Amino acid sequence: MSLFEIKNCKKNFDGVPVIKDISFKVDEGEVVAIIGSSGSGKTTLLRICTFLEYMNDGEMTYLDKKVVISENGKAKYIGQKNLSIDALKKNKELIKIKNYFGLVFQNFNLFPHWTVLKNVINAPISVEKRNKDEVIEKAMMYLKKMGIENKVNSYPCELSGGQQQRVAIARALCMEPKIIYFDEPTSALDPELTREVLKVIKELANEKRTMVIVTHEMSFARDVADRVIFVDNGVIVEEGNAKEVISNPKMERTKKFLQKYEE
Amino acid sequence: MNNITDIIIRVFSGAGASSIIFFSTIIFSLPLGLLITFARMSKLKVLSGFAGFLISVLRGTPLMLQLFMWYYGPFYLFRVSLGLNWRLPAIIIGFSINYAAYFAEIFRSGIEGIPVGQYEAASVLGYTNSQTFIKIIFPQMVKRVIPPVTNEIITLIKDTSLAFAITYTEMFTVAKQIAAAKATIIPLLVAGIFYYIFNYIVAFVMGRIEKSFNYYK
Ligand SMILES: Nc1ncnc2c1ncn2[C@@H]1O[C@H](COP(=O)(O)OP(=O)(O)O)[C@@H](O)[C@H]1O
Ligand SMILES: [Mg+2]
Repeated sequence: MSLFEIKNCKKNFDGVPVIKDISFKVDEGEVVAIIGSSGSGKTTLLRICTFLEYMNDGEMTYLDKKVVISENGKAKYIGQKNLSIDALKKNKELIKIKNYFGLVFQNFNLFPHWTVLKNVINAPISVEKRNKDEVIEKAMMYLKKMGIENKVNSYPCELSGGQQQRVAIARALCMEPKIIYFDEPTSALDPELTREVLKVIKELANEKRTMVIVTHEMSFARDVADRVIFVDNGVIVEEGNAKEVISNPKMERTKKFLQKYEE
Repeated sequence: MNNITDIIIRVFSGAGASSIIFFSTIIFSLPLGLLITFARMSKLKVLSGFAGFLISVLRGTPLMLQLFMWYYGPFYLFRVSLGLNWRLPAIIIGFSINYAAYFAEIFRSGIEGIPVGQYEAASVLGYTNSQTFIKIIFPQMVKRVIPPVTNEIITLIKDTSLAFAITYTEMFTVAKQIAAAKATIIPLLVAGIFYYIFNYIVAFVMGRIEKSFNYYK
């Protein structure tokens, strides 16, 4: 069953098209890597999937819930009349759908005034109204899995970037999302910290968690992802089995892009 | 010697009135400032424009003039004479609204300095707009505004002496009266020392509060 589907997504900023026509699906248990040069629209795409940005036209479905439909060449969000970021923020219907997904940012975006533990448990408790003791137990389990269980009472500023990113992953996991998006989770980190973060993401992949990962780490994408999507200039140029596309791209543009990553 | 003790006691008795102005202004102007910040940051153009205008007028005209307006305004505008009892309320209203305008601008820049990623992380986690403000933005704003708010509070202590303009008897007024009656500058020096001590205490307390937020960056 597909957990997520986006169809004919179009997005422009001030009339400049950034996403021209993108469609893809994510099945349960699948790891999808999105690759492409900087400025090709990858972040914008994830922001649309997570309701931080709206699309101008297209369709979007989470499980069986149609979140966006296309009406007269314009995107129509459920429970919302206008197309604006403000309207997205106020849309109560979308809040319910937000518990289907989590997002891990490039620069972590932890809440600096809260301890590691509070960062992880607050949303499940105060947004989802789950039982506090159970949430703490879950949080400890995830923090342990991320290898930072000895930092629960630290503040984000006391952690390395790699540790902060692992807290951010634990925070996303503790919401029990069906699908986790990652936007270049390691590009703010040096190589050593990158390795430790990629390692935990790989473990999540082994557990068959559904993930969509925007990354510049080609060997990681090849090893961990089931499928890869190469985006260029707002369209999908090539997609398919991760090992095949990355080792043996068919399209000229993909080849050119991948050449830059060969040592 | 006796004379000086007498002066100190009398000047200090005026400090009570100064403290009333000071604490009332703090209590009213901080929340009022936050309300003006909300208006200023509102997406409604009319509201934010009005708040912006209000702030610029309040900051762009002398506080003493504003105190006159609040004190004499009711009489000149509506021909109602509120008498001397109106003096303290007029002072507190004048000070509170004036300081609220300064605090509003401080709060606004404190809020605007918070990275947009904080809002985005909160949004994806499902926090509503009001939860985001209360749990995530406001606490971080408080930390950011403590130093500029401290500056304003120290200015406020000195500004309380402006109440003499509408002949409200606070510390400075008392000191001036004694100085005039006894032809000596000592009462003014004593008042100066009191203002300084008061400021010192406030700076110390605010420093402590600032430190208490040092647990995170
Ligand atoms: N909020 C925005 N306003 C205007 N232009 C934007 C905005 N966000 C992104 N863009 C533009 O859209 C294009 C794609 O950006 P982005 O999605 O960040 O690409 P990527 O993540 O692939 O590097 C870039 O040209 C960028 O300048
Ligand atoms: Mg990007």
